[in-house]
Parts: sequence; structure tokens; C-alpha cells
Amino acid sequence: MMENKEKGYFALVLHAHLPFIRHPEYDDFLEEDWYFEAMCETYLPLLDIYERLTGENTDFRVTMSLTPPLCNMMTDDLLRERFRRYYNQRLELAEKEVVRNRNTQFYEVAKMYERKFRRIRELYEDYYHGNILDGFKKFQDMGKLEIITCGATHGFLPLEIRKEAVYAQIKIAADDYKLRFGRGPRGIWLAECAYNPGDEIYLKANGIRYFFLETHGIIYGSPRPRYGVYAPVYCPSGVAAFSRDMESAHQVWSAEMGYPGDRRYREFYRDLGYDLEYDYVKPYLHQDGVRRNIGMKYYKITGKVGLNEKAPYNPGEAREMAASHAGNFMFNRERQIEHLNGFLGRKPIVVSMYDAELYGHWWYEGPDFLEFLFKKLHYDQKTVKMITPSEYLERHPDNQMIQPSMSSWGDKGYNEVWLNASNDWMYRHLHKAVERMVDMSNRFPNADGILKRALNQCAREVVLGMSSDWAFLMTVGTAKTYSTKRFIEHTNRFIGLYEQIMGNRIEERYLADIEWRDNIFSHVDYRVFSTGAQERAAAAARQ
Amino acid sequence: MTSSGQLNNKNQQPDSDYKSLPESYGNTEAALLPRDPNWMFIYWEITDNSKANLAKEHGHDIFEKARHVVRVYDVTSADSSKYFDIPIMIDARNWYINVPVGGRAYCCEVGLVLPDGRFIGIVKTNTVNLPTGRVSEVTDEKWMSVSSDFDKLLQISGVEYIGKGSGEVAKSLAQRWEMLRSVFSRAASWGVSSISSHAPAGPAPEKKFWLVADCELILYGATEPDALVTVAGRKVALNPDGTFSMRFALPDGNMDLPIKALSKDETDSRQIEIKVIRTTKNDGK
Repeated sequence: MMENKEKGYFALVLHAHLPFIRHPEYDDFLEEDWYFEAMCETYLPLLDIYERLTGENTDFRVTMSLTPPLCNMMTDDLLRERFRRYYNQRLELAEKEVVRNRNTQFYEVAKMYERKFRRIRELYEDYYHGNILDGFKKFQDMGKLEIITCGATHGFLPLEIRKEAVYAQIKIAADDYKLRFGRGPRGIWLAECAYNPGDEIYLKANGIRYFFLETHGIIYGSPRPRYGVYAPVYCPSGVAAFSRDMESAHQVWSAEMGYPGDRRYREFYRDLGYDLEYDYVKPYLHQDGVRRNIGMKYYKITGKVGLNEKAPYNPGEAREMAASHAGNFMFNRERQIEHLNGFLGRKPIVVSMYDAELYGHWWYEGPDFLEFLFKKLHYDQKTVKMITPSEYLERHPDNQMIQPSMSSWGDKGYNEVWLNASNDWMYRHLHKAVERMVDMSNRFPNADGILKRALNQCAREVVLGMSSDWAFLMTVGTAKTYSTKRFIEHTNRFIGLYEQIMGNRIEERYLADIEWRDNIFSHVDYRVFSTGAQERAAAAARQ
Repeated sequence: MTSSGQLNNKNQQPDSDYKSLPESYGNTEAALLPRDPNWMFIYWEITDNSKANLAKEHGHDIFEKARHVVRVYDVTSADSSKYFDIPIMIDARNWYINVPVGGRAYCCEVGLVLPDGRFIGIVKTNTVNLPTGRVSEVTDEKWMSVSSDFDKLLQISGVEYIGKGSGEVAKSLAQRWEMLRSVFSRAASWGVSSISSHAPAGPAPEKKFWLVADCELILYGATEPDALVTVAGRKVALNPDGTFSMRFALPDGNMDLPIKALSKDETDSRQIEIKVIRTTKNDGK
């Protein structure tokens, strides 16, 4: 392709995140499936695409957050073994299904699952030897993929009162990133795109150069943004903020023209877990034997018909549709970018941000769509250039300085999803734990032995309690019992350890049990919560 | 327990630390959190010791005699001493605070107003800076654009989607995928509340003078944590400390809210009935 012919840039940002869910105290735990499903339907299929594109020399750019909880789960030995158990079971069932469905209208789809689960095994074992972060790192090192971090546990920063907590979320995340990817993160996905003016000083303190905002974070910024959401801005601290384009978001999501609702695509709600004969499917259910979705589905959306009137899924037809949708999406980006270029007098950047799990888990053909989109953008046009935020800032370092507005991508645009009658009771406990954590860090600047272990575990419990996921799940009402339980557990574990530390009577068995349960951030240093650490970092960043 | 699992034999008591959280932490303190341009959330704890000291100083019936308030200070600039009071009940321990203007800095103080008007402050919060919730009036010379261009820029930037826009996206999806309201799609957090569609629309950028107003109703209370509580016949989920609160849309008209609490052993009950009337008059301009 010729240099500099493009009229503007397109940055695809995928936010991959799950809360840290790992229960060694159970042999089999329902909520751990969230991770296994996302591995099979989204994370590994994305790597599969990156492998294929690279193999055929198709250039592409993706920015992807891999949150610290996700990175910790991906490298955990227990979850590694459980994931193997999960895909092996699925593969076993898929193989049986191919035999059972020979000469039926479901043969093609049964073959598809067998092929996909084989590929998952191949990627996971032969390509990445059980460590899929190596896969992501490989593409980052090639310059195709930019991996960004997120707050340590996806903490919702605007609802933290103590700046030590904000600093700790960022610092723990940046350290975890270095450990896994061999260099510091250049960008960050602030959990829920939730931004509190001024907090970006802690990004700068950790070498992070940019973050992402919801549309009105910039539109309501001051002074008025010259280029709307189509150019990044610098916060007064010098950290850059990229903002979300609603047109491309809408295109994937809207009812009239949204792609995932096409009748040829796979129907999410008709699942083999319910359709198969009970004795036959029982080995693939959880130990409680309750029928649930198992992730294998044989029907397509079909139309506005009942679940029992759905037609068989045709993988080839669905894939063609994904290609056609990718073509439509590209066409619209070309027109959008041409128009913006003329209007702004500058090459615009269109930033499309999505949950990674939308692609594959919710929209089964989503990864196919992305693969077609990457190929078409590479081979079929010259108007749009794919770019990562780091590359953009290198090419276009001259940007307007604006103080963005407080904002989030939640309903109504601010903090209400995480602060309402269903979850507001959490904050007095969370803030108290943070305050006590800060006090202990200030009080014990040089702990060692069991005291150090206890303090480090306190830090883990505090950050686990800060996950925005618990408040979110309480609001939406899904998994409310689980999320309430998790928040209460982490808070109580913190209180238990705090009382033992302050009473100078740490019980090794109690501590060891909690360490065994909540083993996230094995390298955490509790002093990250000290007031001195936060103040020094902010002062250095302001210079 | 809905979340499941079979117990690992090595560990028979996985839930040993699943107990309720402390009701109080033994400190008189308060905190303020931002919710959106017009709402903040305050929580507080006032210890028995603090209450006893107030009673010693101002008389044992001080809490009956005085009005309980949250005093809301506008602290945007150092010289500003503007404040207003919101009547509360100190035992409620938290409150949602509505402020008329966004984009300002606020700090609150829980306190008592004596019949003679004197204010006794009990505990102050941190300061919160609320977002403005609208396009800035400030332009930047170096990066200025002509203002008609700016309106067009707002449009192509998707200003129409702000707040309710993303909610609409999710709502249309929810028609097909109810389950989007689940952990996998953070995008679904857009569509959590159905209230959003009733929220007053923001000002159209071209109009200079405007007014929008609406009101909602917040009901709150507390009882024994294990009691069964219903409001207008609907079962209410209690917080671990026995408090509860609900937020209602409040259209014009009458609203009856009978609140019933039934003790866990079903031998005792209490009832409070609240009637609310709303009338809205608009000058039609």
C-alpha cells in the first residue's frame, strides 16, 4: 500500500475482562464457567484469527485490554487444569455428536463444534503450552496488537475517596503487566470507562500515556473540543484521552441495522444442555445435574418464532453473512472517514470500543466478522488505516489540551449503575477497608515474616473487594447472590486479618487458608497503599 | 445458594467466613460520593458516644427537639458560603442529595437545627466535584472553530446518544437478548435502568435559555435485618444491616406506599403508610 494515502484512522478496541473467579474449595464451581466459555468462544478464537492473518501476511491492528484479573486467571495452575477438563469434555461430546448426527440436518453444525474444540486444544496445548498470554504477547511484540491494562481489579475509581486506593489500583496493574509482557503498559482501559478528573496523574506516574473515555467525557470537556471525538485530547497532566465513536457502536448494536440479530446467525437460547436426552448429556453438566447451557447450539435465530420453531444452523451461510456485514461495516467507515476528513480538515480517528466477549460469546459469528473486516480493510480499500493509539500519538503528537468531564459508559453516563439502592450499602465498608489498609501501610513501613504476609493478603482482599463487577451484578440482578457474597467475603477476610494484625496475634492457619483461596497478585507489596507512595508518585508526575 | 458447586471433601466449611458485615465501625464520620451532575450520595455513622456528648451539651431531648438535616455547602470557590439544608433522619445513615446545579464542588455536614435556628454540626464529609453534564461555554483560541460548525460537530460526534442514547442501543438489544443483562456484556450496563427514558432531555445546544425539572421519590427505612418487608405489596430486599431504600418515578397524581414489616418468626409486625401527591404546573413557554 502507498504511504499517506489514507484519509483517516480506525482504532478497534476490545475490552476483555472477567472478575477473578477461582474457587479451590470446590471441585466444580458454576461461575468458573464464565471464564472457560470466554476462553473457548472469544479469547482463543481471537488468537486463532491473529495467527491466520499473520500466516497469510495480512496486516492488522487491534488494541485489547487484558485486565489483571483475567491475566491472573490465565496463568493460574488450578484454572489451567480445570480449563483442560472443560474443553476435553466438550470435545468428547462433540465427537459423539458427529456420530449421532450422521445423515441428519445437524451434521454440519456438529462437525463445526468438533473442529472448533479440536482447534482450541491445538492452540492451547501445541501453540501456547497452556499459557495463552504468550500468544497475545507474540502479536504485541510483532506490533499488530497493543495490549493495555486496566485497574488492578477493575475498580470503579470515581467512587473511591482515598487517592491511595486509586494509585494502588493503577500501580498494582502496571506491575502485573510488566511481569507478564516484559515492559510497562502504554495505555489503560479505566474500568467502565469511568473517569474522575485528575486521577490520570496516577496513570502518568506509572508511565501510561493514554486511556479511553465515553463520548461525553470529551464532548462535555472544557474548553470545547475542536475535533469532537475524532481526535484525542491531552488532559492538563499530559495524558491523552481517546473517545468513543457512537456511529460505529450503534451499527453493531442497534435493533434495525445491528448485525448480531440476523436470522442466519446462531440462536443463543436454544442449547444442547436442554435439548439432549438427560442421561446422555448429564456427564457434561455440573455435578448438581441441573440442566444449563453448555455452549453448543444447533439452531439459527430464524426469525420471530418460538424456540421450538427454530431452523437448523448452517455454518457456511452464517459465515457468508458475517463477510457481508464486515463489508457493510467497512463501507460505512470509509464514508464516515471521508466525510469527517473534509469537515474537520484533519485525518480523523474513529475509535470503536466493544466488550471483547461480545465477539464470540454473545455474537457467535463475531470473530468471523472481525477476520473478514481485517482482511477487507487490508486488501480492498485505501481510505481507512487501522491504527493503535500509540501509533497515532507518534504520528500526531499535536493535540488540544482539554479537561475531560467525569463520565462512564454505564447507563445515563455517570456513576449510577455502581451507586444505587441495590449496592450503595457497600461503600461504607469498602472505604473503611481502604482507610485501614492505608493506615497499616503507613504504620508498618518495613514489615517482614508473617506480618508482611498478612499485610500483603490484606492488600489482595481490599483490591478484590473493589472490583466494579460486584456492584454491577447487584444492579442488573444477575448473579446477585454470588456478587454480594463475594463482596462480603473479601471484606470479612480483610477485617479478620486486620484485627489479628492490630491485636498482634496473627494465626498462621487462618492466613494460609485465605492465601490459598485468594491467590491473585502473588507479587503484591502492601506498601503500594501507603500515603507516601501515592504522594511521591503524584509529585513526580506533576513535575 | 444459587452458585454452585459440590464441596471439595478436603474442605468441609468453605463458607465459614460468610457472615454479615459490621453494623458500625465505632467512628463518627461521613462520606460523600458523586452520582451524576445532579445527585450525590452521603453516608454517615454517628456513634452513641457522640450522641451522648450532644445530649450532655444541648439537652437530653436535643434529637427530638431539633430538625435533623444535611447541610449542603457549595464550596466551588473559597469565598462562597452558599448552603441549603435537606431534612433527613439521622438514623437513616445515608441519603441521596439532589443539587440544583451540576459542575460545582459540594461538601456536606450532618447536623441539627435548633428551634431558634442555630445549627449544630455533627460531622462533615469530603468535597465532591460534580460534572456539568453539558457542553462547555469555554472555547480555546488556538483550537477554536466557528460555532455553527461546533453544533454540527456535536451532532456527528453523537451528542444525541449521550446518556439515554447508549441506553436506547441496549434496549433495542434487550428485546432480543434479555440475557444481555448479564455478566458478559458490559455494554448491557447501558440499559440497566428503565428510568432513563423518562429522564428530562438535556438542553438543545442552539437554545440559549431553558429549564428542565423533574422529581423522583426515594423511600428508605430500617428494621431487623431478618424481617420481611413489603412496600405497596412488593417484597423489598434488605441490606445486610437491615436498612432499605427504593427509588420511584414520581408522576403527577397520588401515590400510596404502605410499608409493612413482619418479624422473622412471623409473630410481630409494624406498618407505616406514606401518601404522596405530586402536581406539576408548567408555564408552557
